[in-house]
Amino acid sequence: MSLSVQETRYYKVADHVFSLKANAGLSDDFFEKNADNYAPFSVSACDCLFSMEVVTDAKAPVFVEETRQDEEGQRIVCGITQHGESLFEFYLFDKYVGTLVCSKDYRTSKLFVPSAENTSHLKFAVNNALMVLYAIATAPFDTALFHAAVVNYQDRGYMFLGKSGTGKSTHARLWLKYNEGSTLLNDDNPVVRFYKNADGKGFAKVFGSPWSGKTPCYKNEECMLGGFVLLAQAPFNEISRLRGVQAYAAILPCISGKRWERSIADGLHNTENALAANVPVWYLKCLPDEAAAKLCLKTVAE
Amino acid sequence: MRIKNGFVLREVCGEQVIMGEGVGALDFGKLLCLNETAAWLWQKACDMGDFTVEKLAEALCGEYDVSAEQAKADVAAIVAEWQKVNVVE
Repeated sequence: MSLSVQETRYYKVADHVFSLKANAGLSDDFFEKNADNYAPFSVSACDCLFSMEVVTDAKAPVFVEETRQDEEGQRIVCGITQHGESLFEFYLFDKYVGTLVCSKDYRTSKLFVPSAENTSHLKFAVNNALMVLYAIATAPFDTALFHAAVVNYQDRGYMFLGKSGTGKSTHARLWLKYNEGSTLLNDDNPVVRFYKNADGKGFAKVFGSPWSGKTPCYKNEECMLGGFVLLAQAPFNEISRLRGVQAYAAILPCISGKRWERSIADGLHNTENALAANVPVWYLKCLPDEAAAKLCLKTVAE
Repeated sequence: MRIKNGFVLREVCGEQVIMGEGVGALDFGKLLCLNETAAWLWQKACDMGDFTVEKLAEALCGEYDVSAEQAKADVAAIVAEWQKVNVVE
Protein backbone atom coordinates (compact mmCIF):
# COMPACT_ATOMS: atom_id res chain seq x y z
CA MET A 1 0.00 0.00 0.00
CA SER A 2 1.22 3.47 -0.84
CA LEU A 3 0.40 6.66 0.96
CA SER A 4 -2.55 8.23 -0.78
CA VAL A 5 -1.77 11.59 0.77
CA GLN A 6 1.50 13.06 1.86
CA GLU A 7 2.09 12.93 5.57
CA THR A 8 4.22 15.25 7.68
CA ARG A 9 5.39 14.69 11.23
CA TYR A 10 7.18 17.07 13.59
CA TYR A 11 9.96 16.33 16.03
CA LYS A 12 11.73 18.34 18.72
CA VAL A 13 15.32 17.43 19.57
CA ALA A 14 17.19 19.57 22.12
CA ASP A 15 14.44 22.20 21.71
CA HIS A 16 14.97 22.51 17.94
CA VAL A 17 11.97 21.46 15.86
CA PHE A 18 12.14 19.85 12.42
CA SER A 19 9.65 18.13 10.19
CA LEU A 20 9.80 14.95 8.16
CA LYS A 21 7.47 14.49 5.24
CA ALA A 22 6.82 11.22 3.43
CA ASN A 23 5.88 11.71 -0.18
CA ALA A 24 3.17 9.79 -2.01
CA GLY A 25 4.78 6.64 -3.35
CA LEU A 26 6.27 5.61 -0.02
CA SER A 27 4.52 2.89 1.94
CA ASP A 28 1.74 4.00 4.30
CA ASP A 29 3.62 2.64 7.29
CA PHE A 30 6.69 4.70 6.36
CA PHE A 31 6.98 6.32 9.78
CA GLU A 32 6.37 3.13 11.77
CA LYS A 33 8.85 1.16 9.70
CA ASN A 34 11.55 3.75 9.12
CA ALA A 35 11.23 6.42 11.77
CA ASP A 36 10.33 4.63 15.01
CA ASN A 37 13.43 6.13 16.67
CA TYR A 38 11.85 9.60 16.22
CA ALA A 39 8.60 8.72 18.02
CA PRO A 40 9.80 9.82 21.52
CA PHE A 41 10.57 13.27 20.05
CA SER A 42 7.21 13.75 18.36
CA VAL A 43 5.43 17.10 18.76
CA SER A 44 2.36 18.63 17.13
CA ALA A 45 2.70 20.74 14.02
CA CYS A 46 4.53 24.02 14.64
CA ASP A 47 7.19 26.33 13.21
CA CYS A 48 10.35 24.45 12.51
CA LEU A 49 14.03 25.12 11.98
CA PHE A 50 14.20 22.84 8.95
CA SER A 51 12.13 20.35 7.04
CA MET A 52 12.94 17.31 4.96
CA GLU A 53 10.73 15.62 2.40
CA VAL A 54 11.46 12.03 1.41
CA VAL A 55 10.92 11.58 -2.30
CA THR A 56 10.90 8.36 -4.28
CA ASP A 57 10.55 7.75 -8.00
CA ALA A 58 12.44 10.94 -8.84
CA LYS A 59 15.98 11.48 -9.96
CA ALA A 60 18.40 13.45 -7.82
CA PRO A 61 20.04 16.42 -9.59
CA VAL A 62 23.55 16.27 -11.03
CA PHE A 63 26.27 17.93 -8.99
CA VAL A 64 29.95 18.78 -8.69
CA GLU A 65 31.76 17.01 -5.86
CA GLU A 66 33.45 19.18 -3.20
CA THR A 67 34.67 16.60 -0.73
CA ARG A 68 33.82 13.23 0.74
CA GLN A 69 33.95 11.43 4.07
CA ASP A 70 34.47 7.72 4.44
CA GLU A 71 34.19 6.05 7.81
CA GLU A 72 33.51 2.44 8.72
CA GLY A 73 31.70 1.66 5.48
CA GLN A 74 29.62 4.83 5.62
CA ARG A 75 30.38 7.26 2.85
CA ILE A 76 29.04 10.78 2.31
CA VAL A 77 29.87 12.56 -0.95
CA CYS A 78 29.32 16.32 -0.63
CA GLY A 79 28.75 18.64 -3.55
CA ILE A 80 26.92 21.54 -5.14
CA THR A 81 24.15 21.37 -7.74
CA GLN A 82 24.09 23.68 -10.76
CA HIS A 83 21.58 25.84 -8.85
CA GLY A 84 24.02 26.28 -5.97
CA GLU A 85 22.21 23.97 -3.57
CA SER A 86 24.19 21.79 -1.17
CA LEU A 87 23.98 18.11 -1.92
CA PHE A 88 24.95 15.03 0.09
CA GLU A 89 25.03 11.54 -1.37
CA PHE A 90 24.91 8.61 1.08
CA TYR A 91 26.41 5.17 0.68
CA LEU A 92 26.40 2.17 3.01
CA PHE A 93 29.14 -0.33 2.19
CA ASP A 94 29.32 1.01 -1.39
CA LYS A 95 25.57 0.72 -1.85
CA TYR A 96 23.89 4.00 -2.85
CA VAL A 97 21.03 4.73 -0.46
CA GLY A 98 19.96 8.32 -1.16
CA THR A 99 20.72 11.95 -1.96
CA LEU A 100 19.93 14.97 0.20
CA VAL A 101 19.47 18.31 -1.57
CA CYS A 102 19.18 21.42 0.61
CA SER A 103 18.05 24.96 -0.01
CA LYS A 104 20.84 27.53 0.45
CA ASP A 105 19.68 28.37 3.97
CA TYR A 106 19.23 24.66 4.87
CA ARG A 107 15.63 25.29 5.92
CA THR A 108 14.01 23.05 3.32
CA SER A 109 15.36 19.92 1.75
CA LYS A 110 14.54 16.81 -0.19
CA LEU A 111 15.89 13.32 0.31
CA PHE A 112 15.80 11.32 -2.92
CA VAL A 113 15.72 7.59 -2.29
CA PRO A 114 15.64 4.70 -4.77
CA SER A 115 12.19 3.16 -5.18
CA ALA A 116 11.52 -0.23 -3.58
CA GLU A 117 14.27 0.53 -1.13
CA ASN A 118 14.77 -1.97 1.66
CA THR A 119 14.04 -0.81 5.18
CA SER A 120 17.56 -0.82 6.56
CA HIS A 121 18.86 1.25 3.64
CA LEU A 122 15.95 3.69 3.80
CA LYS A 123 16.39 4.10 7.56
CA PHE A 124 20.09 4.68 7.10
CA ALA A 125 19.44 7.36 4.46
CA VAL A 126 16.76 9.13 6.54
CA ASN A 127 18.88 9.11 9.71
CA ASN A 128 22.06 10.32 8.03
CA ALA A 129 20.27 13.02 6.07
CA LEU A 130 18.52 14.33 9.18
CA MET A 131 21.77 14.27 11.16
CA VAL A 132 23.56 16.27 8.45
CA LEU A 133 20.72 18.78 8.35
CA TYR A 134 20.45 19.00 12.12
CA ALA A 135 24.18 19.60 12.56
CA ILE A 136 24.19 22.36 9.94
CA ALA A 137 20.88 24.05 10.75
CA THR A 138 21.56 24.25 14.50
CA ALA A 139 25.21 25.38 14.19
CA PRO A 140 24.38 29.12 14.56
CA PHE A 141 22.41 28.44 17.75
CA ASP A 142 25.12 27.35 20.22
CA THR A 143 24.20 23.77 19.47
CA ALA A 144 26.44 20.86 18.49
CA LEU A 145 25.64 17.32 17.37
CA PHE A 146 28.35 15.15 18.89
CA HIS A 147 29.86 11.79 18.18
CA ALA A 148 30.06 10.48 21.74
CA ALA A 149 28.54 8.18 24.33
CA VAL A 150 26.92 9.87 27.32
CA VAL A 151 25.85 8.60 30.73
CA ASN A 152 23.70 10.36 33.27
CA TYR A 153 24.98 10.22 36.84
CA GLN A 154 23.08 12.13 39.52
CA ASP A 155 21.45 14.34 36.89
CA ARG A 156 24.71 15.29 35.26
CA GLY A 157 25.81 14.07 31.84
CA TYR A 158 29.34 12.80 31.28
CA MET A 159 30.35 12.48 27.66
CA PHE A 160 32.94 10.00 26.45
CA LEU A 161 34.85 11.12 23.37
CA GLY A 162 37.42 9.42 21.17
CA LYS A 163 38.15 8.06 17.74
CA SER A 164 36.09 5.16 16.45
CA GLY A 165 37.19 1.98 18.14
CA THR A 166 38.63 3.69 21.23
CA GLY A 167 35.96 2.24 23.48
CA LYS A 168 33.45 5.04 24.13
CA SER A 169 30.54 2.61 24.37
CA THR A 170 32.67 0.15 26.35
CA HIS A 171 33.56 2.79 28.93
CA ALA A 172 29.91 3.85 29.14
CA ARG A 173 28.97 0.17 29.81
CA LEU A 174 31.57 0.05 32.60
CA TRP A 175 29.90 3.04 34.26
CA LEU A 176 26.49 1.36 34.02
CA LYS A 177 27.91 -1.81 35.55
CA TYR A 178 30.18 -0.44 38.26
CA ASN A 179 29.06 3.13 39.00
CA GLU A 180 25.71 2.60 40.65
CA GLY A 181 23.01 5.05 39.64
CA SER A 182 24.34 5.76 36.17
CA THR A 183 22.12 5.34 33.12
CA LEU A 184 22.82 5.56 29.41
CA LEU A 185 21.47 8.79 27.86
CA ASN A 186 22.77 8.16 24.35
CA ASP A 187 25.37 5.84 22.84
CA ASP A 188 26.51 7.68 19.71
CA ASN A 189 25.02 11.07 18.83
CA PRO A 190 23.92 13.27 21.72
CA VAL A 191 23.24 16.99 21.29
CA VAL A 192 24.92 19.69 23.41
CA ARG A 193 23.64 23.23 23.86
CA PHE A 194 25.44 26.13 25.50
CA TYR A 195 23.56 28.81 27.41
CA LYS A 196 25.07 32.17 28.31
CA ASN A 197 24.46 33.77 31.66
CA ALA A 198 24.27 37.54 32.06
CA ASP A 199 27.82 37.55 33.50
CA GLY A 200 29.28 36.14 30.28
CA LYS A 201 29.86 32.74 31.83
CA GLY A 202 27.56 29.94 30.98
CA PHE A 203 26.55 26.33 31.24
CA ALA A 204 25.83 23.46 28.89
CA LYS A 205 23.15 20.81 28.70
CA VAL A 206 23.31 17.47 26.96
CA PHE A 207 20.26 15.94 25.29
CA GLY A 208 19.33 12.49 24.02
CA SER A 209 18.50 12.20 20.32
CA PRO A 210 16.88 9.88 17.76
CA TRP A 211 20.39 8.86 16.68
CA SER A 212 22.29 6.43 18.84
CA GLY A 213 24.40 4.23 16.59
CA LYS A 214 23.88 0.52 16.99
CA THR A 215 22.24 0.89 20.41
CA PRO A 216 18.50 1.62 20.37
CA CYS A 217 18.62 4.32 23.05
CA TYR A 218 16.38 7.13 21.82
CA LYS A 219 15.68 9.05 25.00
CA ASN A 220 13.98 12.41 24.93
CA GLU A 221 15.79 13.48 28.10
CA GLU A 222 18.27 16.15 29.08
CA CYS A 223 20.60 17.01 31.92
CA MET A 224 23.34 19.45 32.84
CA LEU A 225 26.61 18.60 31.15
CA GLY A 226 29.11 17.65 33.85
CA GLY A 227 32.15 17.09 31.69
CA PHE A 228 33.83 15.65 28.62
CA VAL A 229 36.22 12.70 28.87
CA LEU A 230 38.54 12.05 25.95
CA LEU A 231 39.46 8.36 25.99
CA ALA A 232 42.64 6.65 24.86
CA GLN A 233 43.54 3.01 25.26
CA ALA A 234 46.50 2.31 27.55
CA PRO A 235 47.92 -0.53 29.65
CA PHE A 236 47.09 1.49 32.80
CA ASN A 237 44.52 3.97 34.12
CA GLU A 238 45.40 7.64 34.40
CA ILE A 239 43.33 10.80 34.19
CA SER A 240 44.31 14.46 33.77
CA ARG A 241 42.55 17.74 33.05
CA LEU A 242 42.81 19.46 29.66
CA ARG A 243 42.51 23.23 29.39
CA GLY A 244 42.45 25.94 26.77
CA VAL A 245 43.48 24.93 23.26
CA GLN A 246 43.95 21.29 24.36
CA ALA A 247 40.38 21.16 25.65
CA TYR A 248 39.14 22.72 22.41
CA ALA A 249 41.17 20.20 20.39
CA ALA A 250 39.58 17.31 22.30
CA ILE A 251 36.05 18.53 21.53
CA LEU A 252 36.53 19.69 17.92
CA PRO A 253 36.78 16.33 16.08
CA CYS A 254 33.66 15.00 17.82
CA ILE A 255 31.31 17.61 16.38
CA SER A 256 29.57 17.11 13.04
CA GLY A 257 29.10 19.89 10.52
CA LYS A 258 30.00 21.31 7.16
CA ARG A 259 33.08 23.23 8.24
CA TRP A 260 34.06 24.23 4.74
CA GLU A 261 31.14 26.67 4.72
CA ARG A 262 32.38 29.66 6.70
CA SER A 263 29.17 30.68 8.47
CA ILE A 264 28.64 27.12 9.73
CA ALA A 265 32.26 26.83 10.87
CA ASP A 266 31.91 30.17 12.71
CA GLY A 267 28.89 28.88 14.64
CA LEU A 268 30.58 25.61 15.58
CA HIS A 269 33.76 27.42 16.60
CA ASN A 270 31.82 29.72 18.94
CA THR A 271 30.15 26.73 20.56
CA GLU A 272 33.45 24.84 20.88
CA ASN A 273 35.17 27.85 22.43
CA ALA A 274 32.35 28.32 24.93
CA LEU A 275 32.35 24.63 25.85
CA ALA A 276 36.15 24.46 26.20
CA ALA A 277 36.08 27.47 28.54
CA ASN A 278 33.07 26.48 30.64
CA VAL A 279 32.85 22.68 30.81
CA PRO A 280 35.62 20.52 32.36
CA VAL A 281 37.48 18.40 29.80
CA TRP A 282 39.46 15.35 30.92
CA TYR A 283 41.87 12.98 29.26
CA LEU A 284 41.55 9.38 30.43
CA LYS A 285 44.13 6.83 29.42
CA CYS A 286 42.57 3.56 30.41
CA LEU A 287 42.03 -0.15 30.38
CA PRO A 288 38.51 -1.47 29.76
CA ASP A 289 38.03 -2.32 33.43
CA GLU A 290 36.16 -1.49 36.64
CA ALA A 291 39.05 0.57 38.02
CA ALA A 292 38.91 2.87 34.97
CA ALA A 293 35.19 3.57 35.47
CA LYS A 294 35.70 4.18 39.20
CA LEU A 295 38.73 6.44 38.71
CA CYS A 296 36.85 8.42 36.07
CA LEU A 297 33.77 8.90 38.23
CA LYS A 298 35.79 9.85 41.30
CA THR A 299 37.68 12.48 39.30
CA VAL A 300 35.00 14.02 37.10
CA ALA A 301 32.06 13.94 39.49
CA GLU A 302 33.85 15.08 42.63
CA MET B 1 53.92 32.52 -1.96
CA ARG B 2 50.39 32.44 -0.60
CA ILE B 3 48.40 30.90 2.20
CA LYS B 4 46.61 27.82 0.99
CA ASN B 5 42.86 27.92 0.60
CA GLY B 6 40.91 26.54 3.53
CA PHE B 7 43.23 27.57 6.35
CA VAL B 8 41.87 30.09 8.83
CA LEU B 9 43.15 31.96 11.85
CA ARG B 10 40.84 31.75 14.84
CA GLU B 11 40.92 32.79 18.46
CA VAL B 12 40.74 29.61 20.54
CA CYS B 13 40.49 30.09 24.31
CA GLY B 14 42.46 33.33 24.07
CA GLU B 15 45.16 32.03 21.73
CA GLN B 16 45.67 32.57 18.01
CA VAL B 17 45.34 29.25 16.19
CA ILE B 18 45.51 28.11 12.57
CA MET B 19 43.09 25.37 11.57
CA GLY B 20 42.17 23.59 8.37
CA GLU B 21 38.49 24.09 7.60
CA GLY B 22 38.06 24.43 3.88
CA VAL B 23 37.77 21.77 1.22
CA GLY B 24 41.29 20.40 0.75
CA ALA B 25 42.35 21.45 4.27
CA LEU B 26 39.92 19.23 6.19
CA ASP B 27 42.49 16.51 6.86
CA PHE B 28 45.04 18.95 8.35
CA GLY B 29 44.17 17.24 11.62
CA LYS B 30 45.90 19.64 13.98
CA LEU B 31 45.77 23.07 15.53
CA LEU B 32 48.75 25.34 15.03
CA CYS B 33 49.25 27.91 17.79
CA LEU B 34 50.80 31.22 16.72
CA ASN B 35 52.44 33.84 18.91
CA GLU B 36 51.41 37.48 18.58
CA THR B 37 53.94 38.29 15.84
CA ALA B 38 53.17 35.18 13.81
CA ALA B 39 49.43 35.87 14.03
CA TRP B 40 50.01 39.46 12.89
CA LEU B 41 52.11 38.20 9.96
CA TRP B 42 49.47 35.63 9.01
CA GLN B 43 46.86 38.36 8.84
CA LYS B 44 49.21 40.51 6.77
CA ALA B 45 49.99 37.57 4.43
CA CYS B 46 46.23 36.99 3.98
CA ASP B 47 45.73 40.67 3.10
CA MET B 48 48.63 40.63 0.63
CA GLY B 49 47.42 37.48 -1.09
CA ASP B 50 50.69 36.91 -2.85
CA PHE B 51 53.53 37.53 -0.38
CA THR B 52 57.29 37.20 0.01
CA VAL B 53 59.52 37.08 3.08
CA GLU B 54 60.89 40.50 2.06
CA LYS B 55 57.45 42.10 1.78
CA LEU B 56 56.35 40.69 5.13
CA ALA B 57 59.62 41.79 6.78
CA GLU B 58 59.07 45.29 5.46
CA ALA B 59 55.54 45.34 6.86
CA LEU B 60 56.82 44.04 10.20
CA CYS B 61 59.37 46.89 10.40
CA GLY B 62 56.57 49.37 9.82
CA GLU B 63 54.53 47.96 12.70
CA TYR B 64 57.09 46.93 15.30
CA ASP B 65 60.29 48.54 16.50
CA VAL B 66 62.69 46.04 14.96
CA SER B 67 65.73 46.26 12.68
CA ALA B 68 65.36 45.23 9.02
CA GLU B 69 67.82 42.41 9.59
CA GLN B 70 66.02 41.06 12.65
CA ALA B 71 62.63 41.35 10.94
CA LYS B 72 63.80 39.36 7.96
CA ALA B 73 65.25 36.62 10.16
CA ASP B 74 62.02 36.42 12.23
CA VAL B 75 59.77 36.33 9.18
CA ALA B 76 61.93 33.72 7.46
CA ALA B 77 61.75 31.47 10.53
CA ILE B 78 57.98 31.79 10.81
CA VAL B 79 57.38 31.24 7.10
CA ALA B 80 59.68 28.19 7.20
CA GLU B 81 57.45 26.81 9.94
CA TRP B 82 54.38 27.34 7.77
CA GLN B 83 56.10 25.57 4.89
CA LYS B 84 56.98 22.67 7.14
CA VAL B 85 53.33 22.08 8.07
CA ASN B 86 52.24 22.77 4.51
CA VAL B 87 49.84 25.68 4.97
CA VAL B 88 51.46 27.88 2.32
CA GLU B 89 52.13 27.28 -1.36
